[in-house]
Amino acid sequence: MNSTLLTRADRLAIIACVALLPWLYASFWNNATGTGEEVHIVVGGRELPPISLTEEQTLTVQGSLGPSILEIADNRVRFISSPCQGKQCIYSGWHSHAGEFVACLPNRIALQITGRESRFDTFNY
Amino acid sequence: MRLQQNRILLLVILLLPLGGCSRQEQLHHAQLFSFGTLVDVSLWGASPSQIEHAEQVIHEELRTMHHVWHAWQPSPLTDINRKLQEGTEFTCPPELLPLIVQAKDLYRRSGGLFNPAIGRLVALWGFHGDSPPQGPPPRPEAIRKLLASKPGMDDITLHGSRLLGTNSAVQLDFGAFAKGYAVDRIIDKLMRLGIKNVIVNAGGDLRAIGHHGERPWRIGIRNPRGQGVLASIELGEDESVFTSGDYERFYDYKGTRYHHIIDPRTGYPARGVTSVTVIHDNAAEADAAATALFVAGPEKWPTVARQLGIKYVMLVDDKGKIHMNPAMAERIRFETADRPEVVLSERL
Repeated sequence: MNSTLLTRADRLAIIACVALLPWLYASFWNNATGTGEEVHIVVGGRELPPISLTEEQTLTVQGSLGPSILEIADNRVRFISSPCQGKQCIYSGWHSHAGEFVACLPNRIALQITGRESRFDTFNY
Repeated sequence: MRLQQNRILLLVILLLPLGGCSRQEQLHHAQLFSFGTLVDVSLWGASPSQIEHAEQVIHEELRTMHHVWHAWQPSPLTDINRKLQEGTEFTCPPELLPLIVQAKDLYRRSGGLFNPAIGRLVALWGFHGDSPPQGPPPRPEAIRKLLASKPGMDDITLHGSRLLGTNSAVQLDFGAFAKGYAVDRIIDKLMRLGIKNVIVNAGGDLRAIGHHGERPWRIGIRNPRGQGVLASIELGEDESVFTSGDYERFYDYKGTRYHHIIDPRTGYPARGVTSVTVIHDNAAEADAAATALFVAGPEKWPTVARQLGIKYVMLVDDKGKIHMNPAMAERIRFETADRPEVVLSERL
């Protein structure tokens, strides 16, 4: 391109745009790990305020059968106790990926992990 | 004039990559908790009206699955089972006829390893209930007695919409098939609503059509033992991913796990396999095939997969070893820290 077509201001604008692209990519596209950031807890169709996965804690959620106990640690969440018979929610272990969901169906408690960008759209199991 | 055109062109080129930053607004993600099934639905680029209709369709289909196909609560299916046992010809309800026709076909093609006629065996093991049994397992004599009568889908004769049971031991249970069949019906209806990009994930088994914007839908396959994601895969325009595993419904009794996938040949839970994942272009067939290949086991699954026309299979055996066909191996990306041991089969 003929440099006479561009003014000094044009060139500065182009440099600024090009310099901005890596930052935009990193900010919006490049969450390569798909790490979860928050867990959304839904009890019988009612959603509780989201909880950050960085807030280590053990919390009790009252479901339709009784209390389920959840543990949040190291940016992960799991069921550690639930009044269901199958205990599949407990056997499924820790969950940390954005986009993951896990539920204790008998107790009508569902967990959805969200993040800025999920690496996976959904999970097969 | 030319200077101005060049500037505009340059600006457009520089701004193009930024357009993608708004893509999250195109994605609608929801969990629907309906009739004992948790459905995770992802829609890309759908209008608010399409989203609302989609949720209604999913709810309606799950209600049908629950009320019409229920294997142990009073339902049109339990009515059919009673009439099959009586051995008199009757007219099949229209909502069940296509299910039975397809099940007979899959039974034949799987060499009887997918056998929805063994409802009595499944009930004997205690899996006809909303909660898993606690054990002990059934007495061997009771299992032998049921096996001796060899219930199969060929014991049901079809004349148009008229059905006749020729073996009183037949009891239909579509647990290994109904979810896939329902997912196919849901996707068909969503496509008729004009929805082009959607994943319908019913309790971990799914069918996806279209894309997530400019890229394919990406699926994480959970580790059947341990935690996290075993592998990931990108899906084509219209594909279903179904997994049958020994962790779905089971009980432990005196240190032995008894799961719900019963081998119709032995009458006992199928052994040697932890999970089978199938990718196919039809959810009902993928569902049935995952069960049939689980029963076939680590040695015989390629033969049964060929009979069923399945092109992509991943089987995790009870030692944690992974068996795949080469086409599946080309598509799978392992997500574990250590690459698991893989055994490749011949081409399917």
